[in-house]
Amino acid sequence: MNFEAEVISWLPQLRRYARALTGDSAWADDLVQDTAERALARWAAFRPNSNLRAWLLTILRHLYIDQLRARREIPVDDESAPWRNLEAPTGVVDGLVLRDLQRALYCLPLEQREVLLLVCVEELTYQEASVALSVPVGTVMSRLSRAREHMRALLTEGPTCKSAPLKIVRNP
Amino acid sequence: MRHDDRDPAVPKPPDLQALSAFVDGELPDEARAAVLERLVQDPQAAAQVADWRAQKSALKALCGAPVIDEPAFIVVRAPVPWWRRVGLAACWLVVGAGLALVLGPLASHLPGGGLLDRGPMGFAKRADVAYAVYTPEQRHPVEVAASEEKHLITWLSKRLNRPLSVPSLQEYGYSLVGGRLLPGEAGPAAQFMYENQDGARLTLYVTGIPDDETAFRLFRDGNRRTFYWVSEHMGYALSGPISEGKLREIAIDVCSDLGGKPESWQ
Repeated sequence: MNFEAEVISWLPQLRRYARALTGDSAWADDLVQDTAERALARWAAFRPNSNLRAWLLTILRHLYIDQLRARREIPVDDESAPWRNLEAPTGVVDGLVLRDLQRALYCLPLEQREVLLLVCVEELTYQEASVALSVPVGTVMSRLSRAREHMRALLTEGPTCKSAPLKIVRNP
Repeated sequence: MRHDDRDPAVPKPPDLQALSAFVDGELPDEARAAVLERLVQDPQAAAQVADWRAQKSALKALCGAPVIDEPAFIVVRAPVPWWRRVGLAACWLVVGAGLALVLGPLASHLPGGGLLDRGPMGFAKRADVAYAVYTPEQRHPVEVAASEEKHLITWLSKRLNRPLSVPSLQEYGYSLVGGRLLPGEAGPAAQFMYENQDGARLTLYVTGIPDDETAFRLFRDGNRRTFYWVSEHMGYALSGPISEGKLREIAIDVCSDLGGKPESWQ
C-alpha cells in the first residue's frame, strides 16, 4: 500500500478521534481534512516503518491545539456548546449516564482528555500514545491515571465543572 | 506493548498508575499478579478499578463508533476530496513534463519544414533525430524491451499496419535492446535499437512511405551516419556513429533480411 492510500485508510479513525476530542463534528471534519493535507504535503518527514497512525494523530493534535488557541474558547456549560449537539449515543450504556460522561469529558483539560480518548477509545498502547503525544510513556501513565480520577470525581461529585472553558491547562 | 521500566512495587496507598495500567492490560505479568492480589485485599482499589473499567466502556460507547462495522461513517467526507483534485493536477503536470521532454528535443532539432519535405530525405532526417534523442537514454532507451520481442513486433506491426520483422545484427556484435513507437511523417514509425558490448548503439527506423522510390543513400549529421532506402512503400533508415563502410555492410544485410534488393544498389 502506498503512502497516500495508507493515510486515506486511517481517515475514518482520525475522524472518530477528532470528533471525540473536539466534541464538534464540523470542526472534526476540518481537522481531519487539514491533517490529511498536511500529512500528504509532509510525507517526506515521515520515517518509513514507524507508526503512521501515531504520526497522523500527532499532526492532528498540533493542528487542534493551534486552532484551539485561535478560536474563541467555548464554555462547556454553554447551551450552545457544540458537543451538546452531538447525536445522543445509543445502546449499551444508559443515555443519561452518557450525557454526564460527555459533560465530564469536556471538563477535562485537553492533556487528560486526549490521553483518555487515545487509550480508551482508540485503543492505542501506551507506547503508541507516547509517540502520538510526543511524551514519555511514564507521562502517558501519570496523565491517564489523573484523567481517570478526574473523571471519576466529576461523575460522582456532580455537574459542577471548575475548569469551565475548553482550554489547554497545565496539569493541576 | 508492555511497559517494563516502571517500578512494580505496590506502595501503601494504591498505586494509581499501576491500577490504570492494569485496566488497560499494559502491565507485565508480575506486576499484574501483584495488582490482582491487591484488589482482593483492598476494596477501595477494587472499586476504583471497577469504576475505571466502566468509564472506559462508557467512553467507547460515547465516542467509539466502530468504524469498520459502520462503513457509512467512512463515506462522510467532502464531496470531491481535495487529494483527488491534487492527484489529477499532478498527473497532468507529469504528462505535460513528459511531453515537453520528449517533444522538446525533437522540436529543436526540426526547425522549419524544409528538411521535413516528403520523400526519403524527410524520413531519414527523422530517423537521425530519433537516434540522437533516444540512444543517449540510459534508463528508458526503448518502450518495449527485447525480452518481449514477440510482443514488440506484434505491437509495432499493428501500429504500422504491416508485418514487421526485426533483423538480427548478432553477427556484427549488436544485440537488440528493444523498440519504440514514434510519430512519423505519414503516420507512425518504429525505432528498433541495438547495442554492442561497448554500449555503442545502432537504430533501425521503419516507417510507411507514400511514394515508392527505390533509393539507397547516405546521410550524415555530425559523427552519425544514416543509410536509408525505400522498398515496397516502406522506408528504412539505419543510423549509427560507426564507419561508413561498416554501416553500409550492415545496411545491405538488413535490407536483404527485410526482403529488399540490395543488389540494385551496387
